[in-house]
Amino acid sequence: MEALRIISDEHQSLAGILHAVRFMLKEVAAGRLEPDLKLFKAMVHYLEAYAELRHHPKEDVLFKYLEQRTAEGKEVLEKLAVQHREAPQRIAALEQALAAFTADPSAFAGFALAFERYADFYRNHILIEEDIAFPLLRQHLSDADWETVDREFRAEMQANSGKDGKHEDFSALFSKLVECAPAPLGFGPRPFND
Amino acid sequence: MSKNVLEVKDLSVAYGKVEAVSKVSIAVGEGRIVTVIGPNGAGKTTTLSAIMGLLPSSGQVEFDGSIEQVPEVERMVVRGMSLVPEKRELFGTMTIEDNLLLGAFQRNREGHRDHLETMEDVYTIFPRLRERRLQAAGTMSGGERQMLAVGRALMAKPKLLMLDEPSLGLAPLIVREIFRIITELRRRGVSILLVEQNARAALQVADYAYVLENGSVKMEGEAEQLRNDPRVIESYLGLASKHQEMLST
Repeated sequence: MEALRIISDEHQSLAGILHAVRFMLKEVAAGRLEPDLKLFKAMVHYLEAYAELRHHPKEDVLFKYLEQRTAEGKEVLEKLAVQHREAPQRIAALEQALAAFTADPSAFAGFALAFERYADFYRNHILIEEDIAFPLLRQHLSDADWETVDREFRAEMQANSGKDGKHEDFSALFSKLVECAPAPLGFGPRPFND
Repeated sequence: MSKNVLEVKDLSVAYGKVEAVSKVSIAVGEGRIVTVIGPNGAGKTTTLSAIMGLLPSSGQVEFDGSIEQVPEVERMVVRGMSLVPEKRELFGTMTIEDNLLLGAFQRNREGHRDHLETMEDVYTIFPRLRERRLQAAGTMSGGERQMLAVGRALMAKPKLLMLDEPSLGLAPLIVREIFRIITELRRRGVSILLVEQNARAALQVADYAYVLENGSVKMEGEAEQLRNDPRVIESYLGLASKHQEMLST
C-alpha cells in the first residue's frame, strides 16, 4: 500500500500550502505582513500544477481499481470524479482573483475570499478521500492490485520527479516556498524570485 | 536485513515509585528510520533520555555491538549517539557557527580534526545555516532553531541520531521540510530513532514503528503495516489529526 502513503504524503504537501496561504492572508488583512505577490502566485501555481499534473492522475488510477472491485464506493467515486473534473475551473477562479489583486491592491478581499472558498473545498475533498475512499481501497483491493498500483506509482514518481529537467521539480519548488514564506510559517520572509 | 545499531531490551525507568517506562524493547537497524509514536505522557522522551544515559534505568542498551549496562551520556556521545532534545537547547547568545562547533567538541577532544569538513556537510544539508552562520542563534525562528539543533547533532558524526519531537510547535510547511531532511539523512546512511507525537508525519517517513502508551510498547511493526492498521488509524491518524493539520491557522 505504498500508493496510499504517496497519496497521503501529497495531501500533506498540499495541505501545508493551503495552511500557509490562509495564514499569510490573515496577516496581510491584519496589516502585519506586506503581500509578496510572486510568492502567492507560486503557491497557487503549486496547488494547481502539482494537483493536476502529479496528484489527481494517480488518484484516478487508484479509484479506477476500486470501481472495478466493488460497487460500494460508487457514490463517493462519482463525487470525487466530479470534483477532479471541476478542479481546473476552481483554480482558474482563484488565479483570476489573484490577477485582479495583482493589478489592483483594493481587490485583496476578493482574492482572500476566493482562496478561503478554494481551501474549504480542497480540505473537504481530501477528507472525503482519506476517510471514505481510502478505507474502501484498503478493504477491496487485493495484494496483487496493490503490487501493481504500487509499482505504477513508483514508476510515476521516478519518471516525473523533475530531477531530469524535463518535468517541473515540485520538491525543489516546495523547498523554495518554505524558504520564502515568513516565519513562523517558513524560513523567510524573503522575496520569491522565479 | 541490516544489522541493528541499537537494541534496547526491557528498559524501565521509574520516577520514585512511579514507573514511567516499563520493559520497553526497541531496535534500530543500520540506515533505517525507526519511530516511536504515542500520546503525550506515554514515556517517549523518558525512553530516549534513558537510552542516552540522561536518566537512571534498568534493562539493557546495546549500541553499535557493545552492551551498556549503565549508559552514561558522555560515553554514549563518544561512541556515536546524538540526541536532538525536544527543547533544542541552543546557546542563544552564541553564533550559529559556534553552536555547530560545540556539537563537534567531544569528537575534537578525541583527536578528530575533521570538524570543518563536517560543517561543510551540515551547510550543504542546511544552506540556511550557512547564510546566517555569524548571527546569534537567539535571533532564529523556531524552524531554523530545529535545523540548527539537528545540524549540531550531525557535527558529532553520529552512528545513531535520536530526534525528540522535531515537529513540535512548527507550522505544517516547516514540518514537511524537516521530515524531508530526515529522509535525506537516511539516504546519507544515518540511522535515526524518531520520537514523535505527529504520528501521521512520522509514519510517512519511518521504516519501522513502535506505539508507546502508558510507558509500554503496545504495538510494533513495519511502518506501512501500522499506517494501515485500523487501531492506529483510529487513535493516531483519524479525523482529529487531519483536521488539526488542515485547520490550524
